[in-house]
Amino acid sequence: MNRTTNKGYKKMKPTDNFTDDQLELLADKVRQGKISRRKFTQLGAALLGTAALASRGMPALADDGQLVFVSWGGDAVDAYDEAYGKPFEAATGVRVRQDGSGPTEGAMQAQFESGAPSWDVMDADAFSAESLGKKGMMEPIDYSVVDKSKMREGYGWEYSASTYFFSYVIAYDAAKFGDNPPTSMADFFDVEKFPGKRSMYKWGVGVWEALLMADGVAQADLYPLDVERAHAKLKDFKEHVISFWGNGAESQTLMLNDEASMALIWSTRARLLEQDTDGDVKSIWQDGVISPGAMAVIKGNPGGAANAMKFIASAQDPEKQMVMFDMLSQGPANPATDDLIPEDQRRFNPVAPGNFEQQVSVDVEWYEENYGAALDEYLAIISS
Amino acid sequence: MIRITRPLILLAPLLAFLAFAYVLPFAGVIGWSVSIPEPGLQNYSSALTDPLILSVFWRTFRICAIVTVISVVMGYILSLLWVRGTPLVRTLTELCILIPFWISVLTRAFGWLALLSHRGLMNGWLEALGVIDDPLRMIRNEFGVIVGMVHFMIPFAVFPLAAAMRNVDERVLLAARGMAASRTRIFWQVFVPMTAAGLMGAALLVFVFAIGFFITPAILGGGRSVMVAELIYLRIFQSPDWGLAAAISVILMVAISALLTLLLKQLSPKGAE
Amino acid sequence: MIRLRPGLVATALAVLVGLFMLMPLLAVVPVSFTPKRFLSIPTDELSLRHYRTLYQDREWLEGIWMSLRIGVLSAGFATALATFFSIGIWMFRPRFAGLLMGIALLPMVAPPVVSALTLYFFLITLTKFNGVVAYDTMLGVALAHSVMIVPFAVVLVSVSLAQVDRRMDLAARAMGASLGTRVFKVIMPNIKFGVIASFFLTFVLSWEEIAVTIFITSVEAVTLPRLMWQGLRDNIDPAIAAISVVLIVIVAAVVVGRAAVTAVRAR
Repeated sequence: MNRTTNKGYKKMKPTDNFTDDQLELLADKVRQGKISRRKFTQLGAALLGTAALASRGMPALADDGQLVFVSWGGDAVDAYDEAYGKPFEAATGVRVRQDGSGPTEGAMQAQFESGAPSWDVMDADAFSAESLGKKGMMEPIDYSVVDKSKMREGYGWEYSASTYFFSYVIAYDAAKFGDNPPTSMADFFDVEKFPGKRSMYKWGVGVWEALLMADGVAQADLYPLDVERAHAKLKDFKEHVISFWGNGAESQTLMLNDEASMALIWSTRARLLEQDTDGDVKSIWQDGVISPGAMAVIKGNPGGAANAMKFIASAQDPEKQMVMFDMLSQGPANPATDDLIPEDQRRFNPVAPGNFEQQVSVDVEWYEENYGAALDEYLAIISS
Repeated sequence: MIRITRPLILLAPLLAFLAFAYVLPFAGVIGWSVSIPEPGLQNYSSALTDPLILSVFWRTFRICAIVTVISVVMGYILSLLWVRGTPLVRTLTELCILIPFWISVLTRAFGWLALLSHRGLMNGWLEALGVIDDPLRMIRNEFGVIVGMVHFMIPFAVFPLAAAMRNVDERVLLAARGMAASRTRIFWQVFVPMTAAGLMGAALLVFVFAIGFFITPAILGGGRSVMVAELIYLRIFQSPDWGLAAAISVILMVAISALLTLLLKQLSPKGAE
Repeated sequence: MIRLRPGLVATALAVLVGLFMLMPLLAVVPVSFTPKRFLSIPTDELSLRHYRTLYQDREWLEGIWMSLRIGVLSAGFATALATFFSIGIWMFRPRFAGLLMGIALLPMVAPPVVSALTLYFFLITLTKFNGVVAYDTMLGVALAHSVMIVPFAVVLVSVSLAQVDRRMDLAARAMGASLGTRVFKVIMPNIKFGVIASFFLTFVLSWEEIAVTIFITSVEAVTLPRLMWQGLRDNIDPAIAAISVVLIVIVAAVVVGRAAVTAVRAR
């Protein structure tokens, strides 16, 4: 009985044939998705003893029959499940579990460093995915499965695929400023004409651009960002900022509780605010900063790269992106979706013609290189 | 043999558990401070010279010290009545101590926002009562952070204090009374010293616990009072630099350990030896 | 028997502190009745929709059950380990007591984020060997919680022990009592309050634990704080206020009930 095929085992002995066979049967079950990888480990351990199993090494398991999708929590969990998760399971039989813990750059790095990641696909910042990808922690996007033509020009990166857009916009107290709303970033920083406190993003993104635009820099000339100039303006202005919000809920609370009369917040939250306050809080697109949302895959993901890529490809479907627009106000990545949005909702789409032109797009490469240092200084200024 | 095995039976379980589940992996994490991005002590020199990091350390220790003192004092008052009050008083105090535990961190943060923001309940009442003309800034600043943290910590201070107070020998107090000492004197010169272990335990618990806080200060401080726990979070997750984060952690822990060694000496057992 | 009760000044101050402790309820209780879908003080009408979510939404019930099991297991385990350890230190005063205490308190002294990463790597290592006590499992989380809360139990029990007269133990030893007798029959009865308080405090710590829990769970072992956190990063669900109110009512009922029973018995 010769073993010529090495199924990924190490160190074989002739008398192991029976147990190997049993092990292989179990492995097959995992590949078919009949039992989970965890169950395999338990049964394998029962068969061989834990130490023996560990020293022998795992047979090559292609995937564990499910995908874990990681988003930023809250409404996103239900939305991703509705729009992408359930349809994917119906089409392929692969179950998609939702994890809302928030895939920060460090969390993704920890997943990879552990040697046994449990995350498959993440709603990640493009610049984080690129940065980690260059260190070999991310799976390059397979553009033979994921269709680049279904994305807007310039938004498909090596390690992340463009899946939606959102913007940093000016939200204002319409009850207070309704007749004379702000029309540009300069208005945001004008506390005489528009009295009241302001609020800005704690983690800097979009704020540097706002500071520079208000200081007179044209949108086309923003990048590379003159961080020093922005920080000088920040030092002068920060006394008018009542709070630097750190997460979506906080930004909403600030406007809901009338703590700030204007805030730079995510367009997704702004839409919710307008709905929740019956129009007492509105937002404008002028001088907004468009940010790309992307999906990325961790190298060595338990569900297998093939399924992960299929999942991302399935998320390019216009009908599905429509669901995400409905539930989360995500600007669709696939240009074909634009036509599906009903007339009266188009004003909420950051990438709709008419809205798109008023804004500036965030430069992912600049952030990849300069974010860390700029953020450090930013935090030093706002906390002193 | 017997000399060694007997204490071992009692001490070993905890130590073995922690050694395996914590100390070993922890050593790996700490190792990053001298290995990422390159071997050497650069992370430590950056941490100790960077003005942002130093100001964060200073702010953290300052706020935590204030929070500790206020929490232990207020906790002491509450404990006193919880342990030594009349049955009715004891029940009421117990409610005040046990109820806040079940309000989760995020709910509490919102509660403080609703109460202390400039259109909140407190400002509303103070203005209605004519005490103030303009709303006070009680939230989204350091004051708000301290209020939020003290409120969270008081029950944690109460338990060690109560444990110490319960074992105070009544006869000593009565003896002092018998010698015509005033109530105030009995309290400050007899009772309080007898609860010293409780005070130390409470201070230790609250201070160390407070240093690890970042959710509450982030929300109540308006995003401005960056404390060391949040800084480390930032350096591990938001804009990762694991070597620096590990170095900051080690420096922090060394500082805390120094303080703790001083406090712990107070917890040594009494009695004839 | 307590003869010297606290005086008027102390009582007055305690009342102020007590009111301070209860202040957030002024916001939490009304918020739980808000008709809106986000945290807000209700102005016009009240609604029970958030209470309904608690028993209708399976997620919340499962989260509560998960947190309950993990809380009891980790508190029990941590209190037991801490009690034996603290007694050991107190009884024998070993040479390197300071160092040993240092190890016992290490998880409390280390920044929570660092502990989170440490325990994450620890549980991932366990995952490579088994699927029961591992990352994202109930027992794995209980184990990790035990690590985090055991220092608090050690402090509490040690404080209790500091008040106990050593001569009792010396006398027992002199009379030939075995180690077991000394620990269980002589020392433990004197630190009952400390041990029970330890269990309670560590249970609460495990119940509230979020920093570490976020990194050691994913889709399976979802505790209540994890559920809340997931719902709060991008949302502000008043159901969390409703949960607090329910728990508070239960606790208040227990406290008052116990006091009533004691009062009746004393007659």
